Amino acid sequence: MKTSQVDVLVIGGGPAGLAAAIELKKSGVNTVRVLERERVAGGVPRHSFHPGYGLRDFKQFLSGPKYAKKYVDGALSAGVVVSTLSTATHFGEKNSVQVTSPAGLETISARAIILATGARERARAARAVPGKRPAGIYTTGSLQQATYLEDLAIGSRAVIVGAEHVSFSAVMTLKHAGVKTVAMLTEKKKHETVGIVRFALGLWYRFKLMTKTEIVEVLGDKRVTGVRIRRSGVESVIACDTIVFTGNWIPDNELVRRGGFAIDSTYKSPVVSADAQIPGTSIYAIGNLVLPIKAADKCAVDARAIAKKVAASLR
Amino acid sequence: MSKKIYDVAIIGAGVVGTAIARELSKHNISIAVLDAHSDVGDGTSKANTAILHTGFDMVPGSLESKLVARGYHLLRDYARETGIAIEELGALLVAWSQEEHDNLAKLQAKAVENGYKDSVIISAADVYAREPHLGPGALGALYVPGEWIIDPWTPIVAFATQAKLNGADILLGTAVIGVTIGAHNTLHTTNGDVEAHHVINAAGLYSDEIDGVFGVKDFTVIPRRGELMVFDKLSRTLISHIILPVPSSMGKGVLVSPTVFGNIMLGPTAQNLEDKTDSGSSEDGMKFLREKGSKIAPELLDEEITAIYAGLRASTEHSDFQIRLHENKYITVGGIRSTGLTASMAIAEHVKELLVNSGLSLGAERALPAITMPNLGEAFTRPYQDEKAIADKSGYGEIICHCERATRQEVLDALESPLPPTTLGGLGRRTRAGLGRCQGFYCHSELRKLLEKK
Ligand SMILES: Cc1cc2nc3c(=O)[nH]c(=O)nc-3n(C[C@H](O)[C@H](O)[C@H](O)COP(=O)(O)OP(=O)(O)OC[C@H]3O[C@@H](n4cnc5c(N)ncnc54)[C@H](O)[C@@H]3O)c2cc1C
Ligand SMILES: Cc1cc2nc3c(=O)[nH]c(=O)nc-3n(C[C@H](O)[C@H](O)[C@H](O)COP(=O)(O)OP(=O)(O)OC[C@H]3O[C@@H](n4cnc5c(N)ncnc54)[C@H](O)[C@@H]3O)c2cc1C
Repeated sequence: MKTSQVDVLVIGGGPAGLAAAIELKKSGVNTVRVLERERVAGGVPRHSFHPGYGLRDFKQFLSGPKYAKKYVDGALSAGVVVSTLSTATHFGEKNSVQVTSPAGLETISARAIILATGARERARAARAVPGKRPAGIYTTGSLQQATYLEDLAIGSRAVIVGAEHVSFSAVMTLKHAGVKTVAMLTEKKKHETVGIVRFALGLWYRFKLMTKTEIVEVLGDKRVTGVRIRRSGVESVIACDTIVFTGNWIPDNELVRRGGFAIDSTYKSPVVSADAQIPGTSIYAIGNLVLPIKAADKCAVDARAIAKKVAASLR
Repeated sequence: MSKKIYDVAIIGAGVVGTAIARELSKHNISIAVLDAHSDVGDGTSKANTAILHTGFDMVPGSLESKLVARGYHLLRDYARETGIAIEELGALLVAWSQEEHDNLAKLQAKAVENGYKDSVIISAADVYAREPHLGPGALGALYVPGEWIIDPWTPIVAFATQAKLNGADILLGTAVIGVTIGAHNTLHTTNGDVEAHHVINAAGLYSDEIDGVFGVKDFTVIPRRGELMVFDKLSRTLISHIILPVPSSMGKGVLVSPTVFGNIMLGPTAQNLEDKTDSGSSEDGMKFLREKGSKIAPELLDEEITAIYAGLRASTEHSDFQIRLHENKYITVGGIRSTGLTASMAIAEHVKELLVNSGLSLGAERALPAITMPNLGEAFTRPYQDEKAIADKSGYGEIICHCERATRQEVLDALESPLPPTTLGGLGRRTRAGLGRCQGFYCHSELRKLLEKK
């Protein structure tokens, strides 16, 4: 098995990981390597084609892919080694990590390890929404990949479950895919995005926002035919062929848990100090791995600040 | 349609139908397996709790008792031979009330009647020593070391693959809608007529309806729904045995068990339904499972759920398997309710005997083609961990489904196999890809593309 050594190993090549890696190089750290399990680095923004990225870090209003590319290019020109199709599978001994890639297995040891593995939306099963298992059920993430990266057919009428920022991102993606959003449901009393966003998009795309409403069953056999909903104890059915489960985040905490580190009970994120450090280790956690959910630019700005401290600790 | 008259047509490509096809393909006879679905094992066989039962709790003397006991050994050996994942966990039948505790001795005696002698009653302290995460209140348990877990899907693909390689025709997307009985049997299907001398009905939930077509009325299938919850792999360390309840009249009751894929499963419920297509999970079912689960292993409920689903057991008004030779060289294999995975290979042997009794001459046995199936078990080395495999084909180092760590090469292998998947579900059953905790957040569209390209 191949073994190698770096100063800092960053796991996850999304905005947080790449921003941290760039900052580490700028702060004079010698060898910085980013592991990214996908074919292309950039994280979630890679498949989030609508504008809405980059205000805090680039003072620009960019689409996701443009934003992702800026970080990937920035990392490469700063001298960061970005290894794609490389999955960190578990921690090894003495600050090392096991990696699988098409080149084989590798053990990488590092003076510091930064975890930036991100978060995903809870899917239908994780929310235990009953019914059969027809086709036509997505999260915003899988919807965006199907629409933008793979150009697959989606459907014609969609119901969106959840009313967070990302839910409105789903509305825009559906529009792009030629799917009409018929309703957006949330169990909460109110949507959780900025008022103007909800107002403008609701007006523009003409869908119904239903608060205090829960989805109680997925209808359909081979293909979704509708959702059964409940509002104030009254059930009704909305006909649709597509359901998008949005928001309701869970961090990608597998490495942390398998490593035996503590997890907080609310978000299931690693428990870290104010400096993002897992106590008693030289392992750090940044970006949306540490919930609550934040916009990409916020993740990146915070990651830079932490990277500075990590660099200082290595001097 | 061809004028070919098959020696044997098998209706149903579930675990039972494919096991029969494999057994018969040891002989030089022509075989067709028909299934309405586009893949093998897409009925009840895809949704079970994947336990290799010893048969310790069967009705002594029943056909089921005999075939489960024999099937256990056959499937165990077959799994080892072909590389199908199997884990020797052992079960604990945990008593939560005095009444249940009093029953343990009876169950142990029944196990002996069923030919299973290795079970022992253990104390509450022993139960908690073995399973520290169990909820409070366990009074003791019957320990049944022979109850194991197995990959429930790969055997079906393996059976069908061997039959196919030995010449059987696997006719998918072919639903039987009628029959004309003459010098031989002509099955009318959604895909034209299929002619055969002998017909075997292994149609699971629809076995009574196929009987009807043949003018036979021995039983009515009552679909009994079993709902299940599957928890994230990160919960696997909570439980290390199959935790069974002390059985009641409605069946085996709700269990908590690891799966060979490294998850923990909670279920099944048992509810008789009218509708044979009602394979959805329900709000009440999920609530019931949560209540049960929080008593058996409270910490489990804090874990993420990666799948919920339901399977329909083909139960009947009788308690035993309904396997019968009828007139017109027609055999019914019905009522294979809740042990069909374990019993499948023994059922196949039994059916072969009936076929011989009905006048089919099989001739000498020939060898089945040797096959090695993908081992999808978490307790074994998966391709992504296998330096040699990756050196041989770099695609084994390209993880495509991150949650299950399934690689691109495994997906390609499945797509290029003798019995390729036709749906994402079928691909998942063959490779685990897409079946993990993110339910496709990351890989769904990539998998769909690969599948649709085929
Ligand atoms: C649909 C959607 C729309 C959004 N819209 C906006 C928006 O308009 N504006 C905005 O600012 N924010 C938006 N966000 C939020 C934004 O995408 C996130 O805040 C940001 O991506 C978080 O960055 P991150 O680096 O923490 O995680 P991620 O972007 O998730 O990156 C994590 C990376 O780690 C990799 N990884 C994980 N585990 C491993 C491992 N074991 N080995 C190797 N690599 C690994 C992953 O492949 C991934 O590339 C949206 C999010 C979604 C899902
Ligand atoms: C919740 C649950 C848990 C279980 N747990 C276990 C366990 O732990 N261990 C164990 O050993 N067993 C278990 N079982 C039992 C086991 O799953 C079944 O006994 C077994 O799958 C039955 O297989 P089968 O081939 O008879 O039926 P099926 O898998 O239903 O196959 C019948 C096939 O016939 C096809 N068909 C029907 N009608 C027609 C037609 N007209 N034309 C063409 N094709 C047709 C169907 O499409 C189907 O594919 C469980 C069952 C359930 C439901």
